[in-house]
Amino acid sequence: MSYYFTILSPTDAPLFNIAFGTSKSGGDGIARFRFPDTAQYMNQFIIHSSLDIVEEAQWMNGNMYLKHIDTYPPAAAFISAFLAPSGARFLLLHQPPQLPTAGSAAAASTGVGAAAGSGSVSGSSGASSLLGSSFAATASSSRTSSSSIAANPTSPQTEEAVRQFMNEVYENYVKTVMSPFYRQGMEIRSPVFRTRVTAAGKKWL
Amino acid sequence: MSQPRHNTMLSLSRTTSNTPSPAEKHHQHHPSQQIQSAPLSSPSPGLRVPSNRKTIYDRHLNRSRNSELSRASFAFLFGEMVTYAQRRVTGIQDLEKRLNEQGYPLGLRLLDLLFYRTISSSTSSALSSSSSTSASPPNRPLRILPLLHLIHGPLWRLLFGRAADALEHSVSPETPNEYMITDNDPMVNTYISVPREMSMLNCAAFVAGIIEGVCDGCGFETKVTAHNQPTELWPGRTIFLLRFGDSVMEREKVLERAGVK
Amino acid sequence: MTSPGDAAPVKPPPSFSPGVARASSTSRYSTHASQRRDSVQSLDSNHVDPSVGPSPPPLSATTELPIRSASPYARSLRSSTPQLNRSSLASPDGGRFEGAEDVRSLIIRAFSPVVGVYASVDTDDLVHQKGFPGGFWGLIRPFGEDVPGKIVIRDSVGSSRGWEDYGVRFVDLGGQARYPPDATPGQPPPLTQIDEALTKDLEAAENPLARTLRPKDLAGASTISPLYKDFLHQLLSIPSATPHETFRHPVASVIAISSRNTSPLETLRQLYADTTNGDRRLPEWIHPEYLRYYVLVHDEDRDDIAESTKLYDQMKRHFGLHCHLLRLRSNQCVVTDDDSVEVPECEWVSPAERLSGSAEPLVDLDTDGRLYLFESDVMAIKAFVRELVAQSVIPFMENRVAVWNDQVASRRRGISGRFMSMSRRWAGFGSSSRSSLTGSAGGVSGNYDGARGFYRPDVPEAVLRKMADFAFMLRDWKLAASTYELIRSDYANDKAWKYHAGVHEMCAISLLLNPVSMPAKTKLGDIDQMLDTACYSYHTRCSDVPNALRCLTLAVELLKSRGGLATESAARWAMRAMDLGLVGSIGQVLLSERISACYASRPPLPGVRWGARYRKAGMWSVLAADLWLQLGQPSLASACLEEAEHLYASVLDRNEGVFPMPEMQAFVDNLRHTIQVEYLEARGLNTQESLDAVPPMDTQETSEKLDKRQHRRSLVVNPLESGIQDLADNEGHPDDDFERA
Repeated sequence: MSYYFTILSPTDAPLFNIAFGTSKSGGDGIARFRFPDTAQYMNQFIIHSSLDIVEEAQWMNGNMYLKHIDTYPPAAAFISAFLAPSGARFLLLHQPPQLPTAGSAAAASTGVGAAAGSGSVSGSSGASSLLGSSFAATASSSRTSSSSIAANPTSPQTEEAVRQFMNEVYENYVKTVMSPFYRQGMEIRSPVFRTRVTAAGKKWL
Repeated sequence: MSQPRHNTMLSLSRTTSNTPSPAEKHHQHHPSQQIQSAPLSSPSPGLRVPSNRKTIYDRHLNRSRNSELSRASFAFLFGEMVTYAQRRVTGIQDLEKRLNEQGYPLGLRLLDLLFYRTISSSTSSALSSSSSTSASPPNRPLRILPLLHLIHGPLWRLLFGRAADALEHSVSPETPNEYMITDNDPMVNTYISVPREMSMLNCAAFVAGIIEGVCDGCGFETKVTAHNQPTELWPGRTIFLLRFGDSVMEREKVLERAGVK
Repeated sequence: MTSPGDAAPVKPPPSFSPGVARASSTSRYSTHASQRRDSVQSLDSNHVDPSVGPSPPPLSATTELPIRSASPYARSLRSSTPQLNRSSLASPDGGRFEGAEDVRSLIIRAFSPVVGVYASVDTDDLVHQKGFPGGFWGLIRPFGEDVPGKIVIRDSVGSSRGWEDYGVRFVDLGGQARYPPDATPGQPPPLTQIDEALTKDLEAAENPLARTLRPKDLAGASTISPLYKDFLHQLLSIPSATPHETFRHPVASVIAISSRNTSPLETLRQLYADTTNGDRRLPEWIHPEYLRYYVLVHDEDRDDIAESTKLYDQMKRHFGLHCHLLRLRSNQCVVTDDDSVEVPECEWVSPAERLSGSAEPLVDLDTDGRLYLFESDVMAIKAFVRELVAQSVIPFMENRVAVWNDQVASRRRGISGRFMSMSRRWAGFGSSSRSSLTGSAGGVSGNYDGARGFYRPDVPEAVLRKMADFAFMLRDWKLAASTYELIRSDYANDKAWKYHAGVHEMCAISLLLNPVSMPAKTKLGDIDQMLDTACYSYHTRCSDVPNALRCLTLAVELLKSRGGLATESAARWAMRAMDLGLVGSIGQVLLSERISACYASRPPLPGVRWGARYRKAGMWSVLAADLWLQLGQPSLASACLEEAEHLYASVLDRNEGVFPMPEMQAFVDNLRHTIQVEYLEARGLNTQESLDAVPPMDTQETSEKLDKRQHRRSLVVNPLESGIQDLADNEGHPDDDFERA
């Protein structure tokens, strides 16, 4: 699983960005996006486009953690959102690693009937080209060890892990905000904050 | 203006000097040699860590939640703030606007702190006791009423150790967007004596700014002003008038239809 | 994206665009339209023509059909355009556009009944003499696609409805190639052909002489790009007569002789025999009982009308009422003739035909290649087609649907059908001998010929499918959907996967077409489920890429036209189509544009700022622009980018038109720059010179704006705070060590 975490101000300005990989099940914590050459801007495009959903969910749901709110199927990118009460948005893009094709074919064959309802049009094999890279096999099948976070971005376990991560980041965010030298809307440049976020990622994701 | 009569310690849910606190935030209004030593928000090469190697990230946000702050020092500080704001102002309105602006960023911060404290302490019922939801973690206010309850109860308790005294809705059909929060004896005005020729002035405009910050942070475009409404019993009685913007009222209707509470 | 400071992106010059193919196609539509307007008059004039003789005057017969005039709806509906009104009334919100009806009509017309044409040699000779290389079929083919006047159809509950845009497709049963066309091994698969045809279109667009305006002005997200429309057209024109669906099976067949024939009745019998059990017999999976329609073509220029009339009377005695006397002149008509009328072009041209150019919409603007007919001939053919459709084909289909509904479907719908999943084993249709419980597979009827992959046309599974298809072509989507529903599980039990896929596909589509039942959210889920099943069966089980693509594309369009929540579903299906690799490189871009259009068609909720999907729409437009650029189409890329700017405008206005995220801004700036350069290069201009006009890319500018944004605008900047701001800025630009992913 690769992660791209962003904090956006209420006016969509990015306050903080970090990309990291999973440290669970032997991961080395380095992000390996499926399309490394386009990941830089694509991650931002995907996150930016998910704000359409965030803005809607924001007023329908009073929770701070909004869970998984959006998916970008071509890159198998899942977006989870957390809203700070003062309007900052924490957005986490997570992308499961590309499975070997055999595995995803098996996952796809698990079920016509079982294939997800309206919400998830995912799970596919086959490759074509978009933006010069190959389309990814989305493995959202519940068969691939649903207990591990890496395999299934929409499982309850993942939701819980992301929630923990978000809460920990929130704590550090509040500390940042409490600094008299911080004004809302300023980019967060503290290396300590970055270390803290990295540590939270290592701990939970 | 400020007259420290007693050295009473007041439970303000305040912090002591080293921890980030609303009070300390006002340091930013001090001249800039303070800022030069800003330990935290500068990029790594110039990062200066305090001698005890502890940054703000190493301190627990709840550490000082039950500690107390000297009312005298607060009164002194606030007096200085008013004095500072009074420089080069054109009139009472201008002065109130400045005070409001000083309070606004505080409101934004308090909002995050308030929610954080509610999440992190299961024992606390600061938010849930009066806000419409009692579930933890607390909900962000989506409608006007929960927001007002949040201000009236938890926010006031965080700031002044007690809830505000009244919460009213305008009865005039022309101004359905107006709400009033009443404080019979605003703590900030305790040691403020307003000269006769400025009798319109209410230094609780600072608190109005805080309220405005809280509302704005939650996504409610609002204008908040403080007005003197003395009664015999409460000569310092102050009314905070909240006027929500049109976009907020439009949204209220949509959310009402959608059944959002 | 375009802040006032920026120079405008390269605007496609007015000459930009889609190319002649499209230009001519628009003219084609307008011809159609004008002809349609004319049609009433022309038919009337025909109606009073005394020379028609004993043959009933075509139009009056239709309007006087007792059944139809008995229906109170029939006449009242005539005055309005019922289809448009009804479905737009039923739409959930006002966020729909003209384009939606356009596409809807296109899809509906794509599933028109097929009428075979089998003409005697002398008839074809006569037509060849008129200068039509395609014979009798080639002559009448364009006229079948748009039947003049309103066609009134009764649905299963007896209410009538008029359709302005009804049509049939004539196919040649007598030509060199057999119908249905086999997939000849030498030919590339249809999707490749579509891709090639699109490439050809694009090349045509490149040709500066052939430029016409790309309809950017009618743009906005709602309208459909001509190229995409072309793509849809071709996709729906793939001549795929297959066992699993009967849309391309002939509903009727026109058997034609001419007045030149020396032994007319024998020839007619011979022609009939050829198509029934002779060498022109259709494959055995096509139901052999379809309507035969006999036509006598009278040569006005050379033969005696009295003779023909006598012969026609004879025909009617022998073959019954489904006869027509078609009076044509055998002389060739040229443009200089007084009453010459240009022959309309065929709308539904298969990709192969288009590639071979035989039916290519006339690309060269010189008039030589065009065909002309005398006005009287056009009138006669139109009257013939109208009579054929209104008096024979439609009543025949209505009748079949009623009969099958009564005999086959109602048994299945009965109590037994509802409560016993394997009821047909007892219902006894097809009298399956293997009605023993065969275990877990859940009832195999034995009607399915697994080895050859089809049901015989007379078993209930096939009959029900045919009935549903008939209902579908008669635009009775409610009945169609319920019938498809009825047989869905049968095919799965028999492991007839292609049937299985097809029935799920059509079930979803008829549910979506049915204007009355607006799918609620749960229903949308059902439809998604069906589409998923159809797509899986087509693609994974049967490797039938064209049908999988057809299924998804139709789903996208129809869901999109539903508006609201469905548009998001539409976008997801389009992504699925891309994801599965069903389309070529041009198709990928077209689908990207379409996804953008899907998102863009979702308007914000009234009174609040959320609900729209402008960011998503904008993103897909940017991606489409990038893809066009990679295909070397800077002009199309430029159009997409412009569209993206338009979409982003409302989102970015609070950020002064600049993307908040630096990499996005850099990417878009880069893209704009490259498009400009490539566009100018393509036009052979000196790029260096004009580059001066290009604004320097300045991400720095962006990042500075980052910090100046205030959380609230209600208060003036606090001088103190901005003082700190300056300080922070002095320490280095905030963006400098921005963490890159």
